[in-house]
Amino acid sequence: MNPEPTKSDHSAGRPPAPVTTTDRLSGLDGYEGTPAPTPTKIAIVGAGRGGTAMLTLLHQLRTVEVVGIADRCADAPGLRHAHDLHVPVFEESADLLRVTEPDLVIDVTGDAAMEKTLRQQVPAGVGILSGPSSRLLYDLVQHEFALQAQLLQTDKLAGIGSFAAGIAHDMNNPLQLILGLAENLTEERDLETVHLQARDIVEAVKRTTAICRDLTSYSRRTSARSDQAVPINAKLDEALKIARYAVGLQDIEVRKSYWPEATAIGNPDEILHVFINLITNAVQAMERGGVLTIATSTVDGGTVVKISDTGHGIPPDVMGRIFEPFFTTKPPGKGTGLGLYNIKNVVHRMHGSIDVESQVGRGTTFTVTFPHDVRVEDGNPS
Amino acid sequence: MNEFKSGFFMGGESCNGRVLVVDDEPDIRKVVRMTLQKAGYEVLEAENGAKAIETINTGENRLLLDVIICDIRMPKVNGIEAIAYFRQNYPRVPLIVLTGFPDTDMATSLLRQGVVDYLVKPVEGEKLKASVARAMEQRELARL
Repeated sequence: MNPEPTKSDHSAGRPPAPVTTTDRLSGLDGYEGTPAPTPTKIAIVGAGRGGTAMLTLLHQLRTVEVVGIADRCADAPGLRHAHDLHVPVFEESADLLRVTEPDLVIDVTGDAAMEKTLRQQVPAGVGILSGPSSRLLYDLVQHEFALQAQLLQTDKLAGIGSFAAGIAHDMNNPLQLILGLAENLTEERDLETVHLQARDIVEAVKRTTAICRDLTSYSRRTSARSDQAVPINAKLDEALKIARYAVGLQDIEVRKSYWPEATAIGNPDEILHVFINLITNAVQAMERGGVLTIATSTVDGGTVVKISDTGHGIPPDVMGRIFEPFFTTKPPGKGTGLGLYNIKNVVHRMHGSIDVESQVGRGTTFTVTFPHDVRVEDGNPS
Repeated sequence: MNEFKSGFFMGGESCNGRVLVVDDEPDIRKVVRMTLQKAGYEVLEAENGAKAIETINTGENRLLLDVIICDIRMPKVNGIEAIAYFRQNYPRVPLIVLTGFPDTDMATSLLRQGVVDYLVKPVEGEKLKASVARAMEQRELARL
């Protein structure tokens, strides 16, 4: 991460250097500027449903380093998941513990005899969570996932409230056309004009219907198990269309640059939500108009999405907190403070990353990186 | 509608007045034009606030424009900015807001600024014509 701008940057009359942050360095697990604690080294034994869930959540925490995971079943979903996250994988717990020297071992095998085995394999002082303790931890992890899903839905529904102006505008314009033409048709004698205006009415009705379809589709609760290959460029276009309802794009020049093969494995509804949020934020940052740039590219086989604005930028003192839940700089009632927090969670679940670079007065760029060929296994039983 | 003639002629036919419709949606301009032309008005169009300001400052429009019908949510110069310009530079030209978004606070504020009517789309032709007629009445009084 780049250092924050120093006083000399400003006093020299130069524009302030961009301030950057990433989701791994802020958010729930610590604030920028706070010294990073030494991470607790955790080993996970068992790579079924429990191990996968543990890995997914623990991997998001700055205070934790998952040093490895073991399972005798080579097909266990947690092992593939670990591979995607570059977490070392072992067949035997003894090898895992010997090589990684963890501070804490979490046993999610469900095997009553495993705790005793582990106690023989680790030196004194190494913590072991097993049996009821690991089941409790698993329940808490599941609770955290459910909470994240609820917060995502809350943010979506709150966001739809802000769509009211855009929806009214886009619904009432075709309705005005329909009403005006229908009134005219009651008196129109020319058959050709009648046909033309009737056709215009049909098209206007179709436009109105499309708005309802877009919004009802977006507002529905995100499906828990619908990970699939998502065409990113199409999702960005869809997000742009829906974001229009929340923020007027009248004075915004939209520039697009797409890598044709941009794809990511994930939940299409969640990916759409990520893009809508980022586009909405970008447009809101450009109160007097500007340029919204949406670009996709590839790095190391993965898909990189950059959403840039030429707006007011994010002040350095705020940058470190933008991924915190309920943190917002918007006026009361204008933002839930859940947008970037939810985005961070969604991107993490997809094993991607999100970075932001900003210069006050010049603009902000959010970069979302989706890894190559990731198969998300959350919720899959072993 | 002849009682509100502004006193000029268009193509040899009597004209009830000259109305500028400001809306970024061509369909809206088309349907408002259709309604008002049938009622005997000459209709000019502008697709945003900037074009509307250009139009009112062009040629005889400075003197002969009778009523402005203006949307709010538009590119470049939006309706609020355009209305502020018209109120300052052409205070005698009555304004009607025709918007897709019902906003009570905005309506109150604009009516306090002297806007004749705040109409929310979709508005029936008769209501639109009645509103324009009221605006024309104001325009005629202002000319006295």
